[in-house]
Amino acid sequence: MHQTKNARQTTQTKPSTYLNEAVAIWLRDLRSEFRTRYALNAILMFAVTTLIAVSFSIGSFRIEEAERPFLYAVLLWIILTFSALSGLARSFVKEEEAGTMDILKLSARPQAVFLGKLLFNLTLLGAMELIIVPSFILLMAYQINFPGFFIAMVVSGGLGLAAGTTIIAAMIARASARGALFSALSIPLLLPLMITAIKGCERAAVGIGTAGWPEVKMAVAYVIVMVIMSLFLFPLVWEE
Amino acid sequence: MIVRSLLTIWMAVIIIAAFLYAEAAHGFPGETSRILFFHVPQAWIATLAFLISMIASVLYLAKRNVKADYIAQSAAELGFLFCVLATVTGSIFAKATWGSFWNWDPRQTSIVILLMIYGAYFALRSAVPDLERKRVFAGVYSILAFAAVPFLVFVVPRITSSLHPENTMNPASPGMDPKTLKVFLGSLFAYTGLFVWMLRLKIRILNIEGLRVRDLFR
Amino acid sequence: MFTLNVSGIGKHYGDALLFKDISFRLNLGDVFAIVGWNGSGKSTLLRIIAGLVRPSAGRIEMFCNGEPIPKESRRQFVGMVAPALSLYDELTGLENMEFFCRVRGVDCNRNNCLEIIDGVGLAEHATKTCGDYSSGMKQRLKLAQALLHKPPLLLLDEPGCNLDSKGIKVVEGIISKQRQLGVTVIASNEKREADYADKAINLSE
Repeated sequence: MHQTKNARQTTQTKPSTYLNEAVAIWLRDLRSEFRTRYALNAILMFAVTTLIAVSFSIGSFRIEEAERPFLYAVLLWIILTFSALSGLARSFVKEEEAGTMDILKLSARPQAVFLGKLLFNLTLLGAMELIIVPSFILLMAYQINFPGFFIAMVVSGGLGLAAGTTIIAAMIARASARGALFSALSIPLLLPLMITAIKGCERAAVGIGTAGWPEVKMAVAYVIVMVIMSLFLFPLVWEE
Repeated sequence: MIVRSLLTIWMAVIIIAAFLYAEAAHGFPGETSRILFFHVPQAWIATLAFLISMIASVLYLAKRNVKADYIAQSAAELGFLFCVLATVTGSIFAKATWGSFWNWDPRQTSIVILLMIYGAYFALRSAVPDLERKRVFAGVYSILAFAAVPFLVFVVPRITSSLHPENTMNPASPGMDPKTLKVFLGSLFAYTGLFVWMLRLKIRILNIEGLRVRDLFR
Repeated sequence: MFTLNVSGIGKHYGDALLFKDISFRLNLGDVFAIVGWNGSGKSTLLRIIAGLVRPSAGRIEMFCNGEPIPKESRRQFVGMVAPALSLYDELTGLENMEFFCRVRGVDCNRNNCLEIIDGVGLAEHATKTCGDYSSGMKQRLKLAQALLHKPPLLLLDEPGCNLDSKGIKVVEGIISKQRQLGVTVIASNEKREADYADKAINLSE
């Protein structure tokens, strides 16, 4: 009797908050990533290769001036989306491959795991966008008339990419044919976001019709919906 | 058995009526408007099936009753089938009236996205070997898809405007010929009956396959 | 007073039956062994108790002073060691311990972690990455990880695997200490490990 009481006290000395747990998982993922650079290398190599291929074959002068705002936005978002899809599943897949998923299940709450992995994916996407977007603008001579809106669109779109795919990554980590499946499952969910982001970047480049920032609002709404749905659904996926 | 025979006869009557009783609508080349009696019910069934599949998925995740997953899987498979049928019949009509099989009309866009989602749904199902896990993942995915799709409603119509005939071909509008309306409603009923029959058949097959496993615990 | 109640547990994969109708009840101080041939489902049963695998039939209940413990908070009451549960290879032993302390909300500074690592005899390897550990050293670190939060329910799947005689002593020490703290369930093929227990179940029978 006495001993169990003791045991209970020691286990509950410091009730961990979701945020604490999530941050612990995020920092651990960052540390692992920093030492192995699995995901970042994959994403960056994919992104840089596609960027070079696009820039080399299209260049900054092939597309008519009038067509540029729209077509450049399309190219940029295709590069960003597919680069993200090449690496965002990595943190879950690595957990599964290294056999550490079960121990994480035994020690952390599912929502905290989701938030930690979401933070990690956001960090990866942030790093990716920081490199890709400026290089794209330079290489393609992308003229943007409303940079503030453009930045907000790129940031909120990036948030959306991570929010829409993190729970999918958790699922495909437990399935076969992971790489192909990740894209196949994610793209239908990401399409509304991509269309929105393309429209938003086009508007930002032209500099007309940006009042009220409709596309940014839409992307933020998408992020909120996907994060809330994921928080509800993730425990089901994680515990299975 | 009786129901099935009646359904067969009803279906045959509708097909004949669609070609002989109803009149071709004005403003469309030749007899092309008769596609209405097949295309619209197919699209309706596809939507209905996806809705049923999503609701059954939610039920499965809440109650973990295998039967709910059988319904979700069967409805998704039939929905996919009718979705393909609606896409094909729609494309034929598009070629005859608008000149090209495909032109990213909003409804074509949304049906393609539905096809993509359910293609992914089946890919997911076949890629997860563990039965329980497969069911949970499939359920989660169809709910996620259902959360993402509404955004398309805001996004897609801005890209192109619809070419879909709304007045003479829309049963809800007063412009429809009464004969056409009768056959159309009959066809809608026939397709729904066909769908329900196929759905029950498919669920029964899955049930019988599943029984082998449950016998172990008797 | 901690109680583990296993009632009517069964598991099948596809249409192959692994085991069924497994029931037992363990109280504070009990050491229980699960034995059986390879493939009889020892590890699976342990994983079902830990909540990692959903049973096909039956249920697992845990009580603390007669109060049922809900599924969501069981992780605070369970410590587990198993060959399939790996730690993070790219982190050092110390970083691993610190991570699990933080995730579990155990109040632990670096010195506490070092103490725990010292307890399993890894003091001089604490700052080496786990990828460079030998399998015996990894096993010791896994034991340390399972004890971090002083769980009333300790699940040991082949606790002595890869361990030298000193390591076996560590395991024996852990089990005798756990008699005071709660319940131990051991799954093993080795007679020596099964002998630590006062009760046992054979899954092959």
